[in-house]
Amino acid sequence: MFELDQRIAEQLNAEVTLNSAIQVRCGNSNAFMVTASTMVPLMQMFEMGGVYISASRGAVEIIEAFKTIGLDVSHIQFIDLVSSGILGGTDVEYPNIHFVDSPIMLESVLLRTLYILRTINSQRNFVFLDSVNALAIYNEDRMLAEYLHTFINTFRQREVLSVILNVPDQTPPLVLSNLDLYCTDLIDRGQVVIH
Amino acid sequence: MQAGSVYTRDRCVTGIHGLDEILRGGIPYGSTVLAAGTCGSGKTTLGMEFLVRGALAGEACAHFTATEPSVKLLENIRQYAFFDMNMVDSGLINVFDMDVLYSWLGLDKASFDLDDVHALIKAIVDIVNTIGVTRLVIDSVTTLCYKIKSEQLIRDFLFTLGKKLATLGCTTILISEITSATENAHWSSFGVEEAIADGIIVMGDVERMGHLLRFLQVVKMRGTAHSRAKHAIELTPLGVMLTPMLKWGAQTDKANRVGV
Repeated sequence: MFELDQRIAEQLNAEVTLNSAIQVRCGNSNAFMVTASTMVPLMQMFEMGGVYISASRGAVEIIEAFKTIGLDVSHIQFIDLVSSGILGGTDVEYPNIHFVDSPIMLESVLLRTLYILRTINSQRNFVFLDSVNALAIYNEDRMLAEYLHTFINTFRQREVLSVILNVPDQTPPLVLSNLDLYCTDLIDRGQVVIH
Repeated sequence: MQAGSVYTRDRCVTGIHGLDEILRGGIPYGSTVLAAGTCGSGKTTLGMEFLVRGALAGEACAHFTATEPSVKLLENIRQYAFFDMNMVDSGLINVFDMDVLYSWLGLDKASFDLDDVHALIKAIVDIVNTIGVTRLVIDSVTTLCYKIKSEQLIRDFLFTLGKKLATLGCTTILISEITSATENAHWSSFGVEEAIADGIIVMGDVERMGHLLRFLQVVKMRGTAHSRAKHAIELTPLGVMLTPMLKWGAQTDKANRVGV
């Protein structure tokens, strides 16, 4: 049976506000457990809507993984960065998936997220970025660090909670130190931490 | 000592998400702005959204189309949620085919002389004056100017047209087709449009690892202390959206340029 990490829900409940920016650190083997343990309280306890940006896997795979643990994400909008330009398939059955051609089109991801936030009905929203280490495969360190700075400040200004998933030992030090600097909260379930 | 009050010009608020912030409130009223861009950069959408936002505020708007028939233009623009065909039906947005206008004026010819140019200016100004148009788009001034063979005549045409439209309080976007929007490019096809325009908005693509990102950059806007930074744009169903382009990603990849 799949078990959620309840301490993540407790930490979210105690510390987080809408203009927080949370860095969620995970390892290679617990990424989905940490993701689900963060998403479940956001959706069920805080009744938030939002946008899930998937750079690590195709959105269909993520939606179906959530389904297997009984989590309905049909009202969450997904921005899929890998299926169009990398995997080459956008013919999917889920209407809540939007595609951006490539993980290198960082500004397009930001604009698409802002567009979706203008169109959805929920008043309290999050943006879940999965993940910084996946973006680091395609983007140069300085550009990614600059992007995360822009990303965090854009959503804090709009009172949209940003949740940034990250495998620290697969993330360049410059990017990691920027995350430490700009995020307001840290949920640390990473197996190796490099500073 | 008391500081003198700072004079600021009234603005035509474009209503385009992000553009008014770049322009510090909008385009100064009565300006003639050149929107110069490469193919597929979003010039027509930008121009049409400029009119729609005006129409939503109750302004009379006009669009002169020279690059495609009005029927095709409207079919293409209907996919955007910001556009409502009722605006055309109710006369808030008036779309004119330049070919039809040429026929009315007896200008079915390959090239225009001075008298033809004056007749064309008078026709456009009369339409603007009669309808009370406050927002005008000519798409494109490049296609229109192909019929004017002399550089001096193009200059006179654009200068006189801009002056007369400004007198009528009409804010105008002249769409210009260019083949390149890199740092060494001209912002207009004939080289004279950019000198006459009160403002220049450049639109193009940045190539990043084989992908094209649309950008918009305001390089000139008389009467306003605007941002001159490159902004990434997306053409969404709600209209054009802009965000500052990442500084480390604002240049086209050098390795991808031919000959480098």
